[in-house]
Amino acid sequence: MNRAALVEIAEAWFQEQDWKPFPFQKQTWQAFLQGKHGLLNAPTGSGKTYALWIPIVLDIIKQNPEYKTNPKKGLKAIWITPLRALSVEIQQAAERFVAGVDAPFTVGIRTGDTSQKERTAQKRKMPDLLITTPESLQLLLASKGYAKTFENLHAVVIDEWHELLGSKRGVQMELALSRLKVVAPRLRIWGISATIGNLEQARDVLLGTDQKSLENSVLIKANIQKKITVKSIIPKNIETFPWRGHLGIHLLDEVLPIIDKSKSTLLFTNTRAQCEIWFQKILAVRPELAGSLAMHHGSISKDTRLWVENAIRSGDLKAVVCTSSLDLGVDFAPVETIIQIGSPKGVARFLQRAGRSGHQPGKESVIHFLPTHALELIEASALQKAVKQKIVEDRIPYLNSYDVLVQYLVTLAVSDGFYPDTIFKEIQTTSCFQAITQDQYQWILNFLVLGSQSLQAYDEYRKVEIEEDGKFKVNSRAVSMRHRLQIGTIVSDANLMVKYLKGGFIGTIEEWFVSKLKPGDVFTFAGRNLELFKIKNMQVLVRKSNKKTAKVPSWMGGRMSFSSEMSDMLRDELYNVNRTDLPLSKELKALEPIFTRQQRESIIPSKNEFLIETFKTREGYHAVFYPFEGRFVHEAMASLIAYRISLLSPITFTIAYNDYGFELLSDQFFDIQEVIDNNLFTAAYLKSDLQKSLNATEMARRKFRDIAVISGLVFTGYPDKQVKNKHLQSSSQLLFNVFADYEPVNLLYQQAFTETFDHQLEEGRLQLAMERIEAQTIVWKDCEKPTPFSFPIITDRLREKLSSEKLADRIKRMVALLTK
Amino acid sequence: METTEITIQNQTFTLHPSGALFWKEKSYLLIADVHFGKITHFRKHGSGVPQEAIHKNIKDLDTVCSYFNPDTIIFMGDLFHSHLNTEWFLFEKWVETIASNIQLVTGNHDIIAPLHYEELGIQIFEERCVDTILLTHHPETRNGFFNIAGHIHPGVQLTGVGKQFLKVPCFFMKPNQLIQPAFGTFTGNYMLTPNPEDRVFAVADDQVIEIVLGLQ
Repeated sequence: MNRAALVEIAEAWFQEQDWKPFPFQKQTWQAFLQGKHGLLNAPTGSGKTYALWIPIVLDIIKQNPEYKTNPKKGLKAIWITPLRALSVEIQQAAERFVAGVDAPFTVGIRTGDTSQKERTAQKRKMPDLLITTPESLQLLLASKGYAKTFENLHAVVIDEWHELLGSKRGVQMELALSRLKVVAPRLRIWGISATIGNLEQARDVLLGTDQKSLENSVLIKANIQKKITVKSIIPKNIETFPWRGHLGIHLLDEVLPIIDKSKSTLLFTNTRAQCEIWFQKILAVRPELAGSLAMHHGSISKDTRLWVENAIRSGDLKAVVCTSSLDLGVDFAPVETIIQIGSPKGVARFLQRAGRSGHQPGKESVIHFLPTHALELIEASALQKAVKQKIVEDRIPYLNSYDVLVQYLVTLAVSDGFYPDTIFKEIQTTSCFQAITQDQYQWILNFLVLGSQSLQAYDEYRKVEIEEDGKFKVNSRAVSMRHRLQIGTIVSDANLMVKYLKGGFIGTIEEWFVSKLKPGDVFTFAGRNLELFKIKNMQVLVRKSNKKTAKVPSWMGGRMSFSSEMSDMLRDELYNVNRTDLPLSKELKALEPIFTRQQRESIIPSKNEFLIETFKTREGYHAVFYPFEGRFVHEAMASLIAYRISLLSPITFTIAYNDYGFELLSDQFFDIQEVIDNNLFTAAYLKSDLQKSLNATEMARRKFRDIAVISGLVFTGYPDKQVKNKHLQSSSQLLFNVFADYEPVNLLYQQAFTETFDHQLEEGRLQLAMERIEAQTIVWKDCEKPTPFSFPIITDRLREKLSSEKLADRIKRMVALLTK
Repeated sequence: METTEITIQNQTFTLHPSGALFWKEKSYLLIADVHFGKITHFRKHGSGVPQEAIHKNIKDLDTVCSYFNPDTIIFMGDLFHSHLNTEWFLFEKWVETIASNIQLVTGNHDIIAPLHYEELGIQIFEERCVDTILLTHHPETRNGFFNIAGHIHPGVQLTGVGKQFLKVPCFFMKPNQLIQPAFGTFTGNYMLTPNPEDRVFAVADDQVIEIVLGLQ
């Protein structure tokens, strides 16, 4: 069958459904059937699934015209999805087409939720089309004879590639692809991505450095224009609106009418704790919403989440309070309105969420932005502009993630073993490891086999062994089993299952929150007040409580930083306040009383000014700096400046920062004039000073946590097996200290620093920010008391520290708090 | 280096920054939670912890033993982390160089057959009562006794002006009990909160400093 005939099959099927293919769908069919690789840029709900499933099926038909009478067995295509929750929907779409054209192809799903029985059945007979996650794909690579399983693959599609790209799961995908390309010579690689700033790079990373594949590839843009309306919720009385906080519950009364007016509303919160609180508060004032108000976040049990998702789709819910757990995937046609509570921190995320409403063609998306404190109104104003100007962020891919490489190589050693030279050539074709040297690779091989770089006395290290013909292989069953349990790159705190005493799984909760509870304590979880009965075998047993007051679990993480695009927008917006030639947005107008107060006590900086405020309170000496660069850059800059000041004389700082600025606080006086006179804001010696600042070590220590788990240095185990492995438990913190003292050249240890500088401190952005500040005039205001701008920063209790004093000297001025 | 001296039941005890405790009148050196063999145990299971670190415990033991030159060394439990492994040979060699008596009050991690210790001339006890002082691995209260124990790896969180805070290992003393910090290199801390009648001695690099308790 020629290409035209094949496409006709698809078009006929579309007609039967009463649909009309979009131009981008036809383009994708053509490109795929021409044998090209590619990246499809299309939003959720645009028909992207059919853009790729269809040509894959057509291609299989083309290769085997007797597909009906004499179908070939075995796996033909893999569809990778970052979220298990999306797999059913993708399966339905694929099955619909397959059935429609009467092709006898099976569509299977294999994720962490797939039962052992089904997995075994799949291993005996793979479906023709398989939907899976990056982790489950790695697990397939860890099974014996994987090359045979994959040899007839026509295509791999990586859905939501933008989500994977900026994470280590992306690296995991790159490595898996480098192997699949070799075992399946016919393989075509396709990605699907939402709009990001660096689409070209996204395609390059997907396809690797091989020039031939790049030349034989396309970037197809769906170009579906959607009208987005952004509305800011402006507090009626700014005088009484808080200067700090992140809950936004004060504006509850403004939210209710929006929910009432809309058929169905999603309320996006930034943390799971915030989600729980909003759910409770809405129900408290509107008890009649019980049953039509739901909650959705990542810690709630899968069954509940699926129920909520289905109920949204069928239009049964009036409103859902959710977190980023509903950012991705599935179509929610009935949703008319979105409310974003608190800063979305980035334009792309804001747009993505906006796009969850008004799904029908021609309808507009409506998103309301609800500020949680006064200064967020500046953000609201900036977001309005960003949406108009269609600004979106880049997703920065990881480079040289040795931890993922270590995991991958062990995976290969666990299944069929590998020959180092073959694999070296393959990994060099990935974007992540394109610059890896022979020495670095040798280091990793030594690490796998010897657990170090040379044979040592008294050593019992055991992991990968070298067989006589030079094959690297894991022969220990225990090592293989532990490795399979640990595959994956998403690391989280130890999670405990929350269950009712009578049975019934409610969700998971982080261990450190539960550790603060005593039996009898009442906490809010999944929208219910629960009483802790006891903790047993990694399970938190609870019963329902009627108590009104309860603790709300706070989940770690979730502190995101402004993207650089967002910071730029915000700075411009703020600088506009002082300009008389431009009209102020209504958000900024609402802030006037606060601006007046800021002006009275300090200044509002203009474009050429860099503001520093100092004041003294009972807590000590405060200095607040305002670069408006986002929290990650501020974290780095604060650490850097604190370090430079600490060189002048022994001093201890605690450091706080938010997206607007940072604060250095000390129990001792320090002179800002000295900071200015000594030119401490210079962009020179940036990297070496940063490295020396203790804080970089602290940050690297935190990064090391993931690295230690991914590379298998720390074994996290599985809940029910925990006891057996007790003697293998250690915190990655301890491990980090041991490396610092005994093996600082270890590549994994060094990777923690590289990641800190590249991804956490965003060294490149820091450099630019410092250069910008050098060109500004420093305005130092010695204030009577905290100013409106400083308030949200100085009240932040999550702090870093930096000290140039001797530990003993510091301890002598401190106290141990007594039990209350 | 600075140690701190305290009196318990009219006896003199010296708190050493390594976490060791010296009982002057009896010339006993008490050492808790060394966790020998932990690094090798990890390596045996495929975790590449730097092997050089295994020598640190021996070095620290040598330092503290030559400082006090005790008649008897009493390990307060969790001397060896898990099953027998090659780090045992290092320990064996070290024992040969030591003139003092060595005793072990066993802890939950001590699963190595007693025979191995006995071959090295190490006496094993579940607990030791010396006058009115009770030495155990797990902290316990018993009428008429002052208890010295390990197991917990105590640490304490300190706060200061300027929102400063710090976590440090410590000797944690209750009216009838003293809990020693862990001696081992590759060990963590468990944070305790004092009551008004408790005393806390923090280990700060090479000093032991008594901490003021407060409500702030």
